[in-house]
Amino acid sequence: MKTLGKDIDRRGSIALIVLFIILLIVPKFSSYTSLNLFTRIYILSVYAMSYDILRGYTGFINLGHAAFFGGGAYIGGILFKQLQPTFPVFLLAIIVTVIYSSLGAYLMGKISLRKGGSVLTATMITLALGEIVRNTAEKWRSVTNGADGLTFEIPGFFQNRFAYYYVALIFLVVMAIALRKFIMSPAGRVLLAIRENEQRVEFLGYNVEKYKLISLQVAAIAGGLAGIMFGIFNRFANTELLSTNQTINALLYTLVGGTGTLYGGIVGSTVVNLFQNFLLNLRHIHPIFERWLIFSGALYVVVVLFMPKGIVGLWLQYFENKTRKKRKVLELEKSSSKQSV
Amino acid sequence: MDIFLTLIINGLSEGALIFLMASGLSIICGLMGVVNFSHGTLFIWGGYTFVWIYKMTNSFVLGILVAVISVFLLGIIFERFFVNKVYGNAPAQILITLGLQIIFTDLVRLFWGATPIAVGRPAYLAGTTIIGGVTIVHYRIFLIVVGLIVAFAVGYILNNSKAGMVIRAGVQRPDMVQALGINIKLYFTLVFAAGAALAGLGGALYAPLVGNVVSTAGAYNQILAFIVVVIGGLGNFVGTAKGCIFLGIMGSFVAWFAPPLAVVANVGLMAVVLALKPEGLFGTAVKK
Repeated sequence: MKTLGKDIDRRGSIALIVLFIILLIVPKFSSYTSLNLFTRIYILSVYAMSYDILRGYTGFINLGHAAFFGGGAYIGGILFKQLQPTFPVFLLAIIVTVIYSSLGAYLMGKISLRKGGSVLTATMITLALGEIVRNTAEKWRSVTNGADGLTFEIPGFFQNRFAYYYVALIFLVVMAIALRKFIMSPAGRVLLAIRENEQRVEFLGYNVEKYKLISLQVAAIAGGLAGIMFGIFNRFANTELLSTNQTINALLYTLVGGTGTLYGGIVGSTVVNLFQNFLLNLRHIHPIFERWLIFSGALYVVVVLFMPKGIVGLWLQYFENKTRKKRKVLELEKSSSKQSV
Repeated sequence: MDIFLTLIINGLSEGALIFLMASGLSIICGLMGVVNFSHGTLFIWGGYTFVWIYKMTNSFVLGILVAVISVFLLGIIFERFFVNKVYGNAPAQILITLGLQIIFTDLVRLFWGATPIAVGRPAYLAGTTIIGGVTIVHYRIFLIVVGLIVAFAVGYILNNSKAGMVIRAGVQRPDMVQALGINIKLYFTLVFAAGAALAGLGGALYAPLVGNVVSTAGAYNQILAFIVVVIGGLGNFVGTAKGCIFLGIMGSFVAWFAPPLAVVANVGLMAVVLALKPEGLFGTAVKK
């Protein structure tokens, strides 16, 4: 399957620039609620992409990924609360989160990515580690405020929703470029190869475990950064952000968007969040629409059964088929013209 | 000394309860190779159905029967329409059963509400006996007895009956068994449903022990069941049973001597076991 073109062609880049400009102007015309919705989508898109680095490119199902996302939100919150809500502290939070995420991912990888372990055991270990982090946060009341959640002040600049929209948009663009660079780098290429044929990569002399560990760390850092942004957006962090449900959300975004396509995360989080918002608006008609989880579960089952490649996957496949057909027609024409000569 | 006996009885009964949940998972996950993340949902469906019938008819036995049968039917639906589409594809199994888990757990909240529903024990199981300072809760003894009966019955069926032979053969070579004229698909459906029914039984018996039933209990107990199955070794039914006893007794001792560690201890134990001995403490029975 085609995953990412070598380079975005001219038509694609023009379309992206136009989209970017539209998104830059959007706040002028949109209401406060839709502004918040968009900001939320941008941040969660980064979270979804971070998950896709792992799930889509190495096939590893991490059920403890929320430990990094929620961890980022908590680190930001705790630092803002204990020190002061200023911009330097924000930078400090980023540094601490990067350290926390890479150390945590290293530990998680060392335990779960052992040779000979099955998918199930790796999944269970990540689930267990995620639960340990969540329980620790719940028990450590003096710092995290336990199950009640942690409210905190944020730096003045971020308090303006209008400004924060742009911060989130720039965050998304920067992270998308950075993660794309990672996937296109030699290490990223090895990851792609691992996904396609792990055994062969091993025979070629690559240390599969090491590369998986690298991808786990990159995913964890990106997830942690998205967590800081999400914490600032809500001005609140609770243990729900660390729970398995939060991981399952990321899984749903990448599934709907298309695993292993990177941009699928953006598409998935947009589609799922808009769908969720649409259903919540329907709650005046019938209260069942408030039960978002039923629909999200149904979405899961439907996507796994009928659309395992997701939206971006289907899109790419459609284009691949089209170019293949075109090539075939060209070849036929060539051979027929040869015969006539 | 008395406290040790009490803790051991408590631990054994917890272990029996975990066993009812984990035995179904051990069959589904270990034997059939289906990673079933919807087991916790089947567990609370058993619990809620039991409470519903028990409150309506005031009959403990009838409640348990209806719970087991309804969860058995639910298991058939799960297998027929969803799980059998993804045999042999572990990631897809995890995803699809997670989806079912989300839907059916939320349906429980829709039907019965998110707040815990209190439920008592029937009069003939409610009492306690004190022998020389050791408090024995009758319901816990009842749980241990039920756990033992189920353990021996399932072990006997798997190892000694023709159905058990077909299942064990079918797991290794489904095409071959099919070629012998045995409807292996039907067997798989029934095995999955039987595993589900065991989870339902566990849920029904769990409610009177803790005194209430709540929709979040499913996920918590599912993690416990997975821990046991993984510790015991995939497909190793006896290993699962040993794992349950071990986990139950460890749980009750940790809860008494070091309460803050109670939640982390189980999960930590699993992480350690998996990290050091990925095939489980007692080894896997099915090599694939």
